[in-house]
Amino acid sequence: MATVVTTAPSPGRGLPGWVKSPKFARILFPFVVLGIWYFIYYTLDSRIFPAPQTVAVFMWEEITLTSGVRYSSAAENIYVQFGITLMRLTIGFFIALILGTIIGLAVGISKKVDAFFHDWVMGVLAMPALVYALFLGLALGFGNLGPILAVVIAGTPFVIINIREGVRNTPKELIDMARSFEVPQNKITRHVLLPSLMPFFFAAIRYAYAVGWKGLVITEVFASDRGMGWTIKFWYDAHRAHGVIGYAIFFIIFALALEKLVFDPLADRAFKWRPKMDAVQMAEGDFGGVQREGFLLIEDQEIEEGVDTTVAKGGNF
Amino acid sequence: MAEIKVEGLSKEFGVGEDRVVALENVNLDVGGHVFVSIVGPSGCGKSTLLNILSGIETPSSGKVTITQDNHDAEPGYVFQAARLLPWRSVMDNLLFVQKDRSDETKARCQKYLEMVQLGDKVDKYPGELSGGMQQRVGIARAFSIEPDVLFMDEPFSHLDAITARSLRRELHEMWSQTKKTVLFVTHDVGEAVELSNRILVFAKGGKLEDDLQIDLPFPRDPAEDAVAVAKAQVLRKFEELDLIAS
Repeated sequence: MATVVTTAPSPGRGLPGWVKSPKFARILFPFVVLGIWYFIYYTLDSRIFPAPQTVAVFMWEEITLTSGVRYSSAAENIYVQFGITLMRLTIGFFIALILGTIIGLAVGISKKVDAFFHDWVMGVLAMPALVYALFLGLALGFGNLGPILAVVIAGTPFVIINIREGVRNTPKELIDMARSFEVPQNKITRHVLLPSLMPFFFAAIRYAYAVGWKGLVITEVFASDRGMGWTIKFWYDAHRAHGVIGYAIFFIIFALALEKLVFDPLADRAFKWRPKMDAVQMAEGDFGGVQREGFLLIEDQEIEEGVDTTVAKGGNF
Repeated sequence: MAEIKVEGLSKEFGVGEDRVVALENVNLDVGGHVFVSIVGPSGCGKSTLLNILSGIETPSSGKVTITQDNHDAEPGYVFQAARLLPWRSVMDNLLFVQKDRSDETKARCQKYLEMVQLGDKVDKYPGELSGGMQQRVGIARAFSIEPDVLFMDEPFSHLDAITARSLRRELHEMWSQTKKTVLFVTHDVGEAVELSNRILVFAKGGKLEDDLQIDLPFPRDPAEDAVAVAKAQVLRKFEELDLIAS
């Protein structure tokens, strides 16, 4: 008689499935943060560190315009401040995207152009945002130009690097295939080259946005008389930690909303061709030599209820 | 009728000490409804020959003419890996290599997808298909442009034995129906014997060593004695030519 040497694991043991799910982990995170926050609040001087409810009340009053605070005649409440920052971010972001794409394509195609830009790109990447924030304030005063340029300076190198790697990772096998079928060059550009650049372009967008945002806020702190960065400094000068933390949370909420409502749907649309993890044979994962990963781009597939989202990561900055 | 003429073809890579001879003075004449396999050890220039014939690479010297009724012939290509555009559906992958997107063209693509049993997968993306299905799309793509000659570079070498066998049958069926001239690179002698009328044997250094005729009726079952004997004869030829590493 045969001896049974293995058995299927019994489903009843250990933690329930929903506890082990990524969704639960995601929901758990804010509660853990809240727990730590309360712990610090009760162990530190409450005048230094505000209670979560104090911050929540502050944020509510800011949103409903019931706090009674008028920041200035030009930008009197959160919506105007936020609008100013968003306008600066949007303009700077698109300039960085256009400029970075043009330079990135040139750098990817030509080694000479790459040699010309290489040290400058690395130099700007290594430069702390504080340096150009202070310089832009000194050089351009407190207008819109300084903060917009800060976004351009912060974002452009990331766009250049990602686009350059995209160009260098163009799928040669697919181009050879197209040429052997005598497909015209403009069709190869539209159907092979541009789609193969898309993952790199999306990484560029996400990073230009993230670092542009950080550069912008620091510049607004030092070189602006309005905007979200300036508002944080306002609460800092007033020695009101709940104001600083409240505005930091506004930032986080905005960043998450933009990610979920804009970037994720855009990426889902652009990458709907990517196989779902439960589809046939993920094991093979080879589309005839298409290289999908670049120097500064690591793709990570995350499974959640059959939906995979693509997280692009950048290098050190 | 399609005709492939290769005269004094040589191909070298690198210069000086790094110089590698991939093909040396190859002369070849293939035409009509034939299935010609090119076999030989790794690095004997099989794929290089196909790349030159399909225009992906240029020869160092020699001349290649591929004609169909005295006009330039249109070649189709099936690669080792399917080389599909992962961001385009199965149908769009076929349409990508067509000259237009007319209803007639779409119907032709659909016909060849049905011939490779993928008529119901036109809207799928390559990543949603198995390796065998992807290679079927690659074959349908090559046939869909209704080429005069078809170049195939080890198209089944990545696949498992069962899938490869069923694809060989489909390929033979399509070749019989469409009457194409096929040049098929493989390292599998059994595969070459099962599919071909002619087997060209290449040796290391890119020399065409032998040109064997396989006069057995189609379809050929590898389990049949006659096919097994033919395979053994080809392998013996390999030994005579000292192509099998001891």
